[in-house]
Amino acid sequence: MISFQNAQVGYQTTLIELAPLALPAGQIYALIGRNGSGKSTLLHSLIGQLPLRSGSITLGAYSLDELQKNAALRSRQVSFVASMFAGLDALTLRAYVSLGRVPHLGAFGRLQAADLQIVDEVLQALNLSSLAYQDTRKLSDGERQLASLARAMVQDTPIMVLDEPASFLDYFNRELLLDQLQNWVQQKPARTAVFSSHDIDLCLQKGIPMLVLHQRRLTLLMKPTKAEVMALL
Amino acid sequence: MKQRSIQFLLQTGTLLLLLSWVHLFVLQQHNGEMQNIVFWEFQVPRLVSAVFAGAGLSLSGLLMQNLFQNPMAGPYVLGVNSGASLFISLLILGAAPTFLIELSYVSAAMIGAFLAAGFMFLVSKRVQNIQSLLVIGLMFASFTGAIESVLQSFAAPEQVKQLFIWNMGSLQQMSAAQAPWMASFVVFGIVTTLFLVKGLNAMVLGDTHALQLGIKVKQLKMFVLFITALLAGSITAFCGPIAFVGLAIPNLARALLKTQDHLLLILFSVLAGSCFLLAIDLLVLLLDPWLSIPVNVLTAVIGAPYVAYLMLRQR
Repeated sequence: MISFQNAQVGYQTTLIELAPLALPAGQIYALIGRNGSGKSTLLHSLIGQLPLRSGSITLGAYSLDELQKNAALRSRQVSFVASMFAGLDALTLRAYVSLGRVPHLGAFGRLQAADLQIVDEVLQALNLSSLAYQDTRKLSDGERQLASLARAMVQDTPIMVLDEPASFLDYFNRELLLDQLQNWVQQKPARTAVFSSHDIDLCLQKGIPMLVLHQRRLTLLMKPTKAEVMALL
Repeated sequence: MKQRSIQFLLQTGTLLLLLSWVHLFVLQQHNGEMQNIVFWEFQVPRLVSAVFAGAGLSLSGLLMQNLFQNPMAGPYVLGVNSGASLFISLLILGAAPTFLIELSYVSAAMIGAFLAAGFMFLVSKRVQNIQSLLVIGLMFASFTGAIESVLQSFAAPEQVKQLFIWNMGSLQQMSAAQAPWMASFVVFGIVTTLFLVKGLNAMVLGDTHALQLGIKVKQLKMFVLFITALLAGSITAFCGPIAFVGLAIPNLARALLKTQDHLLLILFSVLAGSCFLLAIDLLVLLLDPWLSIPVNVLTAVIGAPYVAYLMLRQR
């Protein structure tokens, strides 16, 4: 669950004022808003990398304030997926996904058998097993983005935040990514995911609840219709 | 995968032992008589300086590549050596006649290296691509070089000569008393780095993701900067500026081991760096009857084309 309590988000000036609002767990939420409306800024606050200007946000069992002070705790509560991962020489897909286990590893960062099992299960679920030993530079954009999702999944946090995860994907991969994200949220109780998107039609079609960001405010639509969303934007 | 990496490590380790033995043997032939004194006073320090300078330089290169998140970073190309070099010149050419106290020499180089590394790190936040950064590194080096020249015009010929020799880079200027110092700096650097492996692995994904994986990024970067300066600074103080080892060897490590796991990369870079510099010094020794080529020239002859090749391969 994520809840906002009169939080003000922004860098030097307040960009978004969040009225009290609760997002029940077991759902994925699409954050919709026009360019420059502050979607990324809000997400950066959510993952604890941009302090709130005032108010507070609760993520699962912890307040954002607590999470900001404790990096280790935060890494077990909130995972993050960016819109693009360019790949890296000499980093295989499996090694990349395994980095999601870092918060659960000991001082020398060695992966144990149990970690590798989690990684391989997620790779299997996302149909990435056959690419496990491919160099991440040589993958397609779609494969790399699914790999980033897998990396966040193996981190095994209650909250996942994704910044335009589907913007470089084709229609089929977008659908696949959203389906997988929905599966993930339902696999364990108390999981919640928030992702920003410009793909209003696909989200409507899948009946995904929307958080619409407009004129510095956030509105939650649990069962949105196109007319409602458009009226807000 | 893992087995292949371990095999590589074992092979490199064996090569290192073999090279060390040959190095000692060749030096012994080279020196002829009066062997016993020469062994401890001359041969061992030279071996130690090749082994530890190679290890330390390539480790500092690996760390800088992680810090700058770019495979083309290295202590020489980004001007860290130049910073050390400038401070050494200030010491040699400055008025201080008591400069020969070894530690002050080394600490001056470390301060210079740390300032240069810190400066380049701040600059790297403002420039977007590595090409600009490398050009700035080059400008920095030529700027410090210019200051050195200005200083030289005020200095006595004896001091200028001393600086000139130091600038050529050499593995034989280290004394038996200095050898344990340098070895312990490098060992300290290696051991400390081994404790940073988890953070270094996460850093390859960039700051945002490393933070989200629970890494204290700022703290880690300061640590890395400090170790880099310690390694590059102390080695530069003892052996003079030695180019390209730091840039080339970690790239070789990634290309051969095909991994971004820094435990393996550290171990391999350290071993391969030692092997490389030992081999270079062997070449210096073998060529000596005909040609006396400084180490820095040889590493550049081999390293510069390799680095150019890496640049070209980077699309």
